[in-house]
Amino acid sequence: MDLLAQLAVNGLVNGSHYALLALGFGLIFGTTRVVHFAYGPVYALSAYGCWLAAAVLGAPLWLAGLAGIATGAVAGVLAYLVVYRPFEKRGSSTLVVLIASLGLFIVLENAIGVVFGTDTKVVPSPPSGIFLWGPLVVTGVQLAQILALVVVAGAVGIYLTRTRMGKAVLAMTDSVEMARIVGIDTARVSVIAFALGSAIAAVPACLILVKDGATAHIGFLAVFMAFVSVVVGGVGSLRGAVLGGLALGLVESTGMIRIPTEWQSSVAFVVLFVVLLFRPRGLFGGR
Amino acid sequence: MFKLQRSLALSAVALLAAATVGSASAKDPETYKIGALLAMSGQASFYGTVMSAGIRQAVEEINAKGGVDGIKLEAIIEDHKSGNAQEAVSAMNRLITIHGVKMVMTSFSAPTQAVAPLADQHHILLLNGGGVSNSLVGISKYMFHNRSLAADLGLAAAAHLNSIGAKKLAVLHWKNDAGDSVVRAVRPYWEKAGGSVVAVEAVPQGVTNMDTQIAKIRAANPDAIGLWMFTPEVGLAVKRIRDFGMKQPVIGIEYTENDAKIAGAQGEGYLFINDYFAPSPDQPWSQQFATDYEKRTGSKPDFYAANYYEGVYMLAEILKRARAKGGDYMDAEVFKTVLYENPTFDSVYGGQMVIQPNGVAQKRVGLFQVEGGEKKFKSFVTAD
Repeated sequence: MDLLAQLAVNGLVNGSHYALLALGFGLIFGTTRVVHFAYGPVYALSAYGCWLAAAVLGAPLWLAGLAGIATGAVAGVLAYLVVYRPFEKRGSSTLVVLIASLGLFIVLENAIGVVFGTDTKVVPSPPSGIFLWGPLVVTGVQLAQILALVVVAGAVGIYLTRTRMGKAVLAMTDSVEMARIVGIDTARVSVIAFALGSAIAAVPACLILVKDGATAHIGFLAVFMAFVSVVVGGVGSLRGAVLGGLALGLVESTGMIRIPTEWQSSVAFVVLFVVLLFRPRGLFGGR
Repeated sequence: MFKLQRSLALSAVALLAAATVGSASAKDPETYKIGALLAMSGQASFYGTVMSAGIRQAVEEINAKGGVDGIKLEAIIEDHKSGNAQEAVSAMNRLITIHGVKMVMTSFSAPTQAVAPLADQHHILLLNGGGVSNSLVGISKYMFHNRSLAADLGLAAAAHLNSIGAKKLAVLHWKNDAGDSVVRAVRPYWEKAGGSVVAVEAVPQGVTNMDTQIAKIRAANPDAIGLWMFTPEVGLAVKRIRDFGMKQPVIGIEYTENDAKIAGAQGEGYLFINDYFAPSPDQPWSQQFATDYEKRTGSKPDFYAANYYEGVYMLAEILKRARAKGGDYMDAEVFKTVLYENPTFDSVYGGQMVIQPNGVAQKRVGLFQVEGGEKKFKSFVTAD
């Protein structure tokens, strides 16, 4: 029972991480219909931006976090304007944009390794708080991961429902064509979606940097889990993306109470397969 | 009598001529090309960075002294993308067909296994300084290792835990050939010694989150924890084990500078068994290598850099011996013959290493502990 409780806590932490990744990825995909695989290296780049500010420039962690978020937002916008937008203007097919995205993934990942080196980047003196509740252990950074989901998801929810630009983003999520017909500047909203989605990804990136360190290759798993969470939650539903991420984290962790842990990395595939088979629109997707 | 003297003299002249012609007719290449299959990109590119730095340093040093009998060395480094066997085979084919190499330094178990048949087919000498799986032994008649095998290091680690009275062992290991080989070797040894294995948890190579595995290990309440994995997962595992409030002895079979950086202060007290590379003033070559390496790269060399640096010197010695044989000496069969004629080579670890009949170098293995952020040598260790 103690183990199950600990695994549930771990699952909640991992799920919060996946949920944030899924929220950013889902926002970009839902708004622009771009399967932005380069979201992975943009996530990694955000961690490096945070590391650069904290370890090289000596900024305090909160300021370094802001630098990481700014790095992510700028990188995301540049990815859209430099790579995706030209294809969009030409009316290229989704497949062409997808291939461009994969190409950008490889280029960015290699560039990070070449520029920053291949060793693991860590922040100096990371916070080391550990909290014990009976048999349960949770670290300060893990609590921050859960808190980050609550704060970011809440803030994004308010932004999308209470602001004019947020409503435009939601309108594009429903239908790009209709949004264009009613006079929404879809190109501008796409830029906002890339900036916001990438900034959201930067939050878990900075937290992972503080928790475990970052390498140029941390983006692959990030974009993969974001993608699976979005599909599991329901493509087009931001609430579904968050819940999908949480569900994935919990299943991946608590499922290991009986299953040998060597199977853990297969859990996401199994969940994806089962959902696609029995509920292709996702657990929380519309009809 | 005169005839006998004359024929003896003629025989002597003929022998002398044959010996002279032998080395003069040696078919020398323009340069001695040494290929290397390393992890230059991907999750584990840290290895490729340090290994290639060791190779380049050795090549430049040897060339600065005139090369091998006046022939310069040339390093050709190819990328197996952090252990991808298919990439390794493609890279090996490039080394053979485009560059015409006859010696290749390999790394990682899977790529090394994958290129072994090509080495046999094309008579290429393979020198592995990084792959640690027992399954590498004997897969090619031209393969040699100047790296201790993981299973042997794991057994030495288990022997140490046994000596400090640990009975319940938990294991966190890489789910691949390298990690599995240690699990397979250590478990029977440990149980035969009267201990029990209370948890065996696996993570894939390149994992970034192992909290589930560590939670299960914590629930098993072991006396000690064995980490049968390699960088950078070692650093992460040590850090997370301590983050989870576990205070048991943790022992592993590796701890690189990268691991130390990731583990940070949580690495304190971590034990590991490894090839004994510890530069000190009483080992001038070792000290000189470490000083020059740090000047070139800005970081201290670990044993991986040392293995590949030392490996180039070993290959240079083999080339020198093979050339002395004369003829078409650029062939793994000749290299193997001259290697076993005298299987002792200078080691940058200090002293010498001996290549055993199974192709694996016998080197010094030590127990180290992290103290004050530094890796401190404690003692030499062997499995019972």
